[in-house]
Amino acid sequence: MQIKTESVAGTPALSIIGLEGELDASNFKDLIGAAQKLYEQGTRRLVLDLSRLNFMSSSGLVALHSIARIFRGDAPSDLEAGWSAIHAMGEDVQRGTEPSVKLVNPQPKIASTLQKTGMDRFFAIYPDLQAAVNSFHDNR
Amino acid sequence: METLGALRLDARLEDLSRIRQFITQTASVVEIDQAAVYDLNLAITELITNTLLYGYGGAGPIEIEILRADRDLLIRLRDKAPPFDPTGHPPPDITQPLESRPPGGMGVYLTRLSVDRFSHRRLPRGGNEISLGKVSIFPPAKEE
Repeated sequence: MQIKTESVAGTPALSIIGLEGELDASNFKDLIGAAQKLYEQGTRRLVLDLSRLNFMSSSGLVALHSIARIFRGDAPSDLEAGWSAIHAMGEDVQRGTEPSVKLVNPQPKIASTLQKTGMDRFFAIYPDLQAAVNSFHDNR
Repeated sequence: METLGALRLDARLEDLSRIRQFITQTASVVEIDQAAVYDLNLAITELITNTLLYGYGGAGPIEIEILRADRDLLIRLRDKAPPFDPTGHPPPDITQPLESRPPGGMGVYLTRLSVDRFSHRRLPRGGNEISLGKVSIFPPAKEE
């Protein structure tokens, strides 16, 4: 999987992570690491462009949830505790849509995984990059 | 029952992509549609991930066999890990919050939704065999 990061002008700082390839247990920590680095460098709003991601397992769901926690200022999910990390998602879903991390254009099978696991209620999903970026400006 | 392909390897998480490639290539030869191939790749990825992380603690031998039985496509997954039956994992109650569902359940949940058949047996000499199937995936034979 390739992870490309891009900064967008604006305050607070907004970045885009574009994913290309396959996201699974072998590389989901790389994605969390990339998001963590952006947060440490000052990014506070993140768009995850999934349009070129063509496979995602449940490890990807753990990564998405962990990134949401990072951008909320919480500790990342405890990945070493295994999939129990994903349990914390339920509580977060109850809090409503994640305000700082937006998803863009998942391919149909990945959209289906997000929907079947309730992640589509946790993340706002936009049809294209510009709509996701604009959504932050709309909510200033 | 016709064997379409088989793969044996000492697998690590880094091999998941190669395993999916093998399934995709084998399925493309018999013209399985892409949505069904994705489902099989998702199920196999979830099951092998669980075996590697929890059965082997990292890495270990995996055997994958892809078979055709009439109109059905079957995948047999064998390992030498301690006995574990993922099909015995209670089906999650999706009306319940995620935190009250059992651990490891997400991958098994996605597996269950991705295939029509999902069974487990302990192998007589140790290890596990999981069978996954997509039913009626091949078109009916033409009448003579």
